[in-house]
Amino acid sequence: MARDHAQVVIVGAGAAGSVFAAVLAEAGRDVRVLETGPVRRLEDFYSSQLWARRLKWAVPHVAETTRDPVWFNLNAGRGYGGAAAHHFAVWPRMHADDFKLRSTFGKGLDWPLDYADLQPWYDRVQDDVGIAGDAAAEVWRPPGAPYPLPPVPRFAQGEVLAKGFTASGLRVAPIPVAVLTRPYKGRPPCIWDGWCEAGCPTGALANPLATYLPRATAAGARLQPGCHVTRVLTDAGGRRATGVEYVDDKGSRRELGADVVVLAAFGVENVRILLNSAGERHPAGLANSSGTVGRYLTCHPSVFTFGLFDADLQNYMGLSGGQIISHEHWAKTGREGAFGSRQYEAAMALKPNDLLGIAMSRADLFHRDLERFMQRAARGLGQMVAVCEDMPLAENRIELDERRDAHGLRLARIHYRTSPDGLGLWREAVTEGERIMKAAGATEVWHGPKVAQHLMGGTIMGKDPAASVTDGYGRAHDVENLFIGGGGLFPTSSAVNSTYTIHALALRAASRLRDDQAALRTR
Amino acid sequence: MLNNLADFAKKASMAQDRRQFLVRAGCLLFTVGGARLWLTPAEARSRGADLQVLDAAQTRTLEAFGEILVPGAAEAGLAHFVDSQLAADPNDCLLVTRYFNIEPPYLPFYAGTLAGLESLSAERHQRAFAALGEAEAVALVRELGAGTPRGWSGPPAELGYLVIRSDAVDVVYGTVEGFRRLGVPYMPHILPPRPW
Ligand SMILES: Cc1cc2nc3c(=O)[nH]c(=O)nc-3n(C[C@H](O)[C@H](O)[C@H](O)COP(=O)(O)OP(=O)(O)OC[C@H]3O[C@@H](n4cnc5c(N)ncnc54)[C@H](O)[C@@H]3O)c2cc1C
Ligand code: SF4
Repeated sequence: MARDHAQVVIVGAGAAGSVFAAVLAEAGRDVRVLETGPVRRLEDFYSSQLWARRLKWAVPHVAETTRDPVWFNLNAGRGYGGAAAHHFAVWPRMHADDFKLRSTFGKGLDWPLDYADLQPWYDRVQDDVGIAGDAAAEVWRPPGAPYPLPPVPRFAQGEVLAKGFTASGLRVAPIPVAVLTRPYKGRPPCIWDGWCEAGCPTGALANPLATYLPRATAAGARLQPGCHVTRVLTDAGGRRATGVEYVDDKGSRRELGADVVVLAAFGVENVRILLNSAGERHPAGLANSSGTVGRYLTCHPSVFTFGLFDADLQNYMGLSGGQIISHEHWAKTGREGAFGSRQYEAAMALKPNDLLGIAMSRADLFHRDLERFMQRAARGLGQMVAVCEDMPLAENRIELDERRDAHGLRLARIHYRTSPDGLGLWREAVTEGERIMKAAGATEVWHGPKVAQHLMGGTIMGKDPAASVTDGYGRAHDVENLFIGGGGLFPTSSAVNSTYTIHALALRAASRLRDDQAALRTR
Repeated sequence: MLNNLADFAKKASMAQDRRQFLVRAGCLLFTVGGARLWLTPAEARSRGADLQVLDAAQTRTLEAFGEILVPGAAEAGLAHFVDSQLAADPNDCLLVTRYFNIEPPYLPFYAGTLAGLESLSAERHQRAFAALGEAEAVALVRELGAGTPRGWSGPPAELGYLVIRSDAVDVVYGTVEGFRRLGVPYMPHILPPRPW
C-alpha cells in the first residue's frame, strides 16, 4: 500500500504552524497539520482560570534539572492554537540592535538578517491580524507601518501606574497588542473583561483560532488532532526529509510522507524531535552537524512587582497583558554587569486565583491574613512586570533525558541558568520596579520571584552552518526541505515578547517556501 | 473572515476529540446513595456524595488543612473538587499541579502531603490535624509554607502548601460565587460549568 503523503506536513497547530498552514494552503499546496493535542474551538474557552488549565500539558515531558526553572508547563500549550491559544498578545517589535549583538557590541550572537529584512513582514502580519497601539507615543518604536487600530484604553490602574513611571522619569505608551480596539476583518472588538489567559472566545485577540487557522482550513489544509510526531524521516543520504513518523489518536504508529516538513511544535519539542530523529547518517540528531541543536536556550528573566493602593484601581478591567509599556531602558550598554535591554508592562487585568492571580502574589499569606488581603487587593492591587534580556550561552540547553514517554521515545531535559547579564538586569528591575510602585502611591510594595517567560533558542538561525541549525528562513542547513518555526530560531532573546516576531519569521519563510518550487518539488 | 471562522468551527467540531469529559452544563458527576448525579462540589459535599479517590481520613485532613489555608474552603467543596479532578483523565484535570511538573497520577502527591501533615501533627501535638486548635493548626501550616519543617517526610512541604492553598483559593475565590465574595464583577464571555 502506498504511504500516505502530503506536499507539506506541518508539526504543531500553534502560532508558527498556523501561519505556514495558511500561506501554503492558500497557494494551493496540499497541507497536513499534525497536532498532538485535541481540537480546540473558540467556544471551548470558558471564562475561568480553572478551566484554562486544560490548555496546558498535563504530563511533564520536560525534566528541569537546574536551579533556574524555565517553567515549561506554564509557558507551553497543547492543542489547536498551542500556547498562543491563551497568550496575552503583547506584540512589540524587536529593535534593530537586537539583530546584531555580536557585531555591534561583541556580546551574544548575530541574527542572519536585519531589522530591515523583517520589517515588511512585521507590517504584513500587523495588517493581517490587527494590532492596536500608538506609534507616536512609542518613541522607541523601530520604523514600520502605523498601527491599523487605535490604542487600548486606560482604566484606573493604568492611569495610576503611568503616574509612577512618569514620576520616576520613564516614559510610557499604550501597550501594543494584537487585540482589536475596533471591528477588524470580521472580528469583533475587545470588551476589556480580562479573560485573555483563559483564551479569548470572541476572536478579539489574535490567537491562531481567530486568525491563521481559519484561513488555513478554508483553503483546504487538513488538521489532524491527537497525532504526536515522534521523528522526522530522511532519505538514505540523510540530506532530505521524506516525511514524519507519528502516533495517531488510536495509539498506532504511522508515517506520513512529505515534500516539505515544517517543525512548529514549540522550541523544546522541536529539539526533542530532531534529537530523537538520529540515524546512521546523523548520529547526533537530525540537522545537528553543527552540534548546536538544543543549544543557546534563552528566556526572559522577569519579575512581577506589586503595589497595594487605597484607591479602587478597577484592576479587574482591561487585558491580561496590561495597559502600558515602557522601553525607556532599551540601551543595552552603560550598566555594569547588566548588558542588555529591559521592557516594562504594567496594569494587567487581575483575577483572584491561579499562578498569576491576586492570591498568589502573596503566597506566604493564609487563613485570616489572606482573607483580609484578598478583600483589599481585589480592587486595590496594582501589578507590573519587567521583562529582561537574556544572553545566549551554549551551555544552556535542551537535550534528551533517559526517561521515555508512552511511545518509548526519550523525553527532553533542560539545563538552564539565567545568564549573568540577565540576572544583573533582573536585579535592577527589582529595585526600580518597587520605586515606580511607590512613586505611583502604593502603600505597600513587594515583588515576586524570578520567573522565566518566552522560551527561545535551541534551533538557532545563523549564517554559519557550523555554528547554527538553520538559515535566515528557518531552513535547516543540513536538510534542504526541513523548515523550523517558532522562538527556537531566535539566536538572541531581545527583551520583547516573542510571538509577533515568530509570526513575522513564519510569514517570511512560508512566503519564500510558497515561491520556491525546488523545495516543493514533487516526488 | 466571519465565514472562515464559522467554517473553521464547524470542521473543528466534526473532528471532535473522542475523549468523554465528565462535565455537563454546570456540574460534575457524583454518586449519592448509588445514583449518579450532576452536582456542584459544594452540593456534593452537603449531600454527602461519595468520593472516588480520597479515603475518609484523607478527606478529613484535606478539609481541615484547606480551612486553615483559606477559610470557607471545606464548605465550598474543596475535597469533592480535588477528588473529582484526581479521578479525571490528566489532560482534562483542572488542578494547578499541571503547572508544577508533577507527574500524574497526582494522588500520591496529595496523599503524601496529607500523611506528612498528620505525622507532624501527631509528633508535635499527639492529635490528628483536624483536632488541633486554630492557633496550633495555623502554626503548623506556617512551618509548611516556610519550607520543610523539622521531621517532615513526604513531597516537598512548601509545594504541598502551595498546591493545596491554590486549590482552596480556587474553590473559595476562583468561581462566580468567589468573585461575588470579593465584590468584583465576573464578566464572563462564556460562563464556566458551575461552579467553576
Ligand atoms: C499564559 C501565556 C501568555 C503569553 N503571553 C504572550 C504575550 O503576551 N506575547 C507574546 O509574544 N507571547 C506570549 N506568550 C508566548 C506565546 O504563546 C508563544 O511564544 C507562542 O505560542 C510560541 O509559538 P510556537 O508556534 O512556537 O508554539 P505553540 O504556539 O505552542 O504551538 C506549538 C504546537 O505544537 C504542538 N506540538 C507539540 N509537540 C508536538 C508533537 N510532537 N507532535 C505534534 N504536535 C506537537 C503543541 O500541542 C502546540 O499546539 C504567552 C504564553 C503563555 C503560555
Ligand atoms: S479582555 Fe478582550 S481580548 Fe481578553 S478575553 Fe476579553 S474580549 Fe478577549
